[in-house]
Amino acid sequence: MRCGDYKENYIKDEEIFQSRFVKFWLALFFIFLIVFPFIANAHMLYVSNIIGFAVIGAVGLNLLTGFTGQISLGHAAFVGVGAYASAILITRLGISFWLSIPLAGLVSALAGMIIGIPSLRVKGLYLCIATLAAQFIFGFIFVHWESMTKGITGIHIPPPQIGGFHFTTEKEFYWITLVFVVLGVGYARNLIRSKMGRAFVAIRDRDLAAEIMGIDLFRYKLSAFAISSFYAGVSGALWVSFLKVVTPDHFPFTLCIQYLAMVIVGGLGSVLGSVFGAIFMTLIPEVLNVLAENAKNYMPGMEHLLIPFKDVVFGFLIVSFLIFEPRGLAEIWNRIKKFFTLWPFSY
Amino acid sequence: MKKIGFFILGFILFLGSFSIAMAQQTPTICAVHPFTGRFAFAGIEGSAAQQDVVDMANEAGGINGKKIQYYWADGEYKDDVGIAAFKRLQAQYNPQIMFGQSTGMTKALGPEIKTRYKVLYSAYTMTSEAANPKENPYLFLAAPTYAEQFGVLLKYIVKEKPGANVAFFYSDTEFGREPIAAGREMCKKMGLKLVAEEVSQVGGVDITTQVLDMKAKKVDYCIFQGYVSNPIASVIKQSKDYGLNAKFMGTFWSTELQLLKELGTFADEYIGVSAYSFYYQEDLPMMKKIREWTQKKYPKVEYRSQSYMENFATVLLFVECFKRADKMKGGFTGDNLVKALQSLKNFDVGGLMPPVTIKNNSIPVGRVYRGNSKTVRFDPISDWISLD
Repeated sequence: MRCGDYKENYIKDEEIFQSRFVKFWLALFFIFLIVFPFIANAHMLYVSNIIGFAVIGAVGLNLLTGFTGQISLGHAAFVGVGAYASAILITRLGISFWLSIPLAGLVSALAGMIIGIPSLRVKGLYLCIATLAAQFIFGFIFVHWESMTKGITGIHIPPPQIGGFHFTTEKEFYWITLVFVVLGVGYARNLIRSKMGRAFVAIRDRDLAAEIMGIDLFRYKLSAFAISSFYAGVSGALWVSFLKVVTPDHFPFTLCIQYLAMVIVGGLGSVLGSVFGAIFMTLIPEVLNVLAENAKNYMPGMEHLLIPFKDVVFGFLIVSFLIFEPRGLAEIWNRIKKFFTLWPFSY
Repeated sequence: MKKIGFFILGFILFLGSFSIAMAQQTPTICAVHPFTGRFAFAGIEGSAAQQDVVDMANEAGGINGKKIQYYWADGEYKDDVGIAAFKRLQAQYNPQIMFGQSTGMTKALGPEIKTRYKVLYSAYTMTSEAANPKENPYLFLAAPTYAEQFGVLLKYIVKEKPGANVAFFYSDTEFGREPIAAGREMCKKMGLKLVAEEVSQVGGVDITTQVLDMKAKKVDYCIFQGYVSNPIASVIKQSKDYGLNAKFMGTFWSTELQLLKELGTFADEYIGVSAYSFYYQEDLPMMKKIREWTQKKYPKVEYRSQSYMENFATVLLFVECFKRADKMKGGFTGDNLVKALQSLKNFDVGGLMPPVTIKNNSIPVGRVYRGNSKTVRFDPISDWISLD
């Protein structure tokens, strides 16, 4: 049970990590993240990288949907814009990977702002459909603007490098992903504590009241779209540099649904929820795949039942989590923390 | 005491390295199949085919007494899942040969296979990128590429009606668009007039505009690409309603009995190309062997699809590559397996395909089949056509 936890000034009171206990475990977690690539195999590192890209994309979507209340079904399109922007900057203009990532984010942010303009007039499901249009428009552009995107053939991207060192393997790319995840999550966590973050929340809760209070809806809604799309663009740029190829097939509509699922299962309006949701939606199917494969080795001839069954199990897990805690995995985590704050006492 | 300890440790390490060396010399094939997802119809058959070839080969003595190990994983026809499965199988089993689930996965892994993994690789794809020995020496196809299949069909058209009006009807996907540019070039070279290019969604049923356009342009032959069934059946049926008298053709993935069942009485209108014989062809020793094996091992299975045949042929070639590589210095290495593959000339596969000669890491040969509405089967209407 935590006790003796008191603050002597407002700065201490506003810290994100408020106790030594939390800081200790966070430090331990970072040490684990640093040691992990030296103990994991190529498969685990591959999955870790994919989780990292998903975390960045999910945090971006949560800023828009969870904090600002703007539903977007075009997130995969912005991931694609960032991916193609990065690929074109690297392969055609010879810009280095390190500069192409933020530039790709900016290109994606610009696209997001344009698509976000309808949000000033429409809300809810209507905005949903407006953003869905982005998915189809950009999907069409990726396939048909062959002079830039090379159409269905796609663009092959060289690995990032510093001097003569190339980041070709999963282990080498892991460090890049880790840095961007830490920066992205850190920025988002601080953004929601700032004036802009509070404006986002006000718009989500009651946009009319927010406007009356003096919050510029135009400015902050477009900012939310821009920041969310920036995150998506960075995620896409990192992803395709990792895969070393970008094709239109990488950004189907189901990717939008996947990001929304990450945010909802993880917890709307929570940065930590985005992280949990991204890990859950990426790692659990992989774990189920491994279990199904091992099960079929022990029960040969049953693979027709065992392997498709993993989709049933995954769906069941999602539904169960949402039934037991509709506010997502982040809220489950908060409840566990609250329990241990008072443990062994009940009140 | 210390000296004895070091000696024991050294001996254990020596044994360990020896066992690792032994493990690496076990012929191992790993595969990622689309066992679930929208390509499951191919993945289920494909995984059975590959397992059957491995079992047959092991029953016949394996590779000079060494049993072939075979492991597979489900890729769900999603690139991320497929690539993760590839890396998992690589880390776990260290195979010398891998098989992938899709064009996307092949493109993503191509550079790494070339520089890092160096395993002989094939996949559920017929993309030209996988048949480019200069760029991707470890990738190959036990089939003609989509462009080569178009070539076979266009050669057939030229033989039937030189200078005919041709239309390409393809889906707005990578699968659909892949051979179109090469097809345009081939039409020019063969003196055929490409009068129409129709694009539609996979599974789309609203294709009236496209049918009317083809009628207006007096299309003689329409080649489908990028579809398994719909909208092929819809186009053929609607063409009768609108008076379009074209002959309809398609490539490998649509040359399946499932399409003939959907076409019903219109099955005679459809012509397909495939590099493989069909399960029911009585006079071929390999088809007889497959039928006997299927009846013994899977008594409830009545038919094996072309996807089964494709995977069967691929693993037959894998097994032959293992046998040839076993005689080479270094044994089962990726480079030796590639050399073994390149050495395949007129390799007899018992009628499953014509005698196999690898050219540019593919087998550019196909046969034209016509649907038969009475028997609901494909009947061969040409000999094996080779593209040089």
